Amino acid sequence: MASDEDLVGRLADGDEQALRELLRRYERPLSHFIYRHTSGRDVEDLYQETWLRVVQHAARFDRSRRFSTWLFHIAVNRCRDWHRRRPPEPIELPQGSGSDDLPAAETRLDAQRLLAMLPEPQREVVLLRYYQDLTEDEVAQILDCPKGTVKSRLHNALARLAATVRGQEH
Amino acid sequence: MDPVDRRARLTAHSAGCPECREAPLPLDHLASLLEDTRPDIDAATLSRHAFARLQPELQRRAVLIGWRRVAVGVLLALLPLPFVLAYNAYFLRLVYGYLSVLLPATIAAYLVLSYAASLLLLFAATYAAIPVLLVGRRSRAAALP
Repeated sequence: MASDEDLVGRLADGDEQALRELLRRYERPLSHFIYRHTSGRDVEDLYQETWLRVVQHAARFDRSRRFSTWLFHIAVNRCRDWHRRRPPEPIELPQGSGSDDLPAAETRLDAQRLLAMLPEPQREVVLLRYYQDLTEDEVAQILDCPKGTVKSRLHNALARLAATVRGQEH
Repeated sequence: MDPVDRRARLTAHSAGCPECREAPLPLDHLASLLEDTRPDIDAATLSRHAFARLQPELQRRAVLIGWRRVAVGVLLALLPLPFVLAYNAYFLRLVYGYLSVLLPATIAAYLVLSYAASLLLLFAATYAAIPVLLVGRRSRAAALP
């Protein structure tokens, strides 16, 4: 089976099969990442913009890097641009979120709202580390920051979420 | 990723984080809140739409790169041509010199010019084959799984 990096090489030559295969491999993690980053808004546009960038810059892809890291780096930048263009909608905190006995839809809403209330840098770390199964090194590479920053952002995000959860309980 | 793995990630962070150890976080509660179900999106449809949008760009790129390769191939093949032509001109003059001693000048000229015409035809066929071969190789590569 061709590696992601080989497929990017073929993509740079305009190979449609390579794009199909890359889309198939990354459609779920990438679309879910964008969905969580933007609380489900403009997912299709951002998904397409991300792949458009991949196609446009495939020839310049550094084969020593991992494709997934590069892909998420592009996606993060697209999502950041989106947030800059469009101010976030006001977030309503859920009332009395005893999540254990809530239906799945409501739990999902809570997770979305909790994520949406995090500052963007912290939300990105949580999404990449917690949901995308990436290591701290990979997250640092994607976000173009030191590993220590990833750790501190993750801590701050968790502390903030914990404070919110405690605040709702009282 | 498995929910247990996700929860383990929070625990692992907490274990390695001095601040978390000092003031423990409600990790189980956080994990259950963050443990959302999959987003309500059809990823396959997103991919189909993305592919449809990107297909013209890919086709344009494939044509561009195909022509670029042909141009590079022809240019590389043209590099030695002046030397080859110069050598052949020298060789033909030499042959004509020998032949004109043995044969009437018109027959010697006819033989040498016929040979020169054959050589030119061969060169032309060779250079014409370069783009054909490059395109054929590209088509075979594209057909590979």
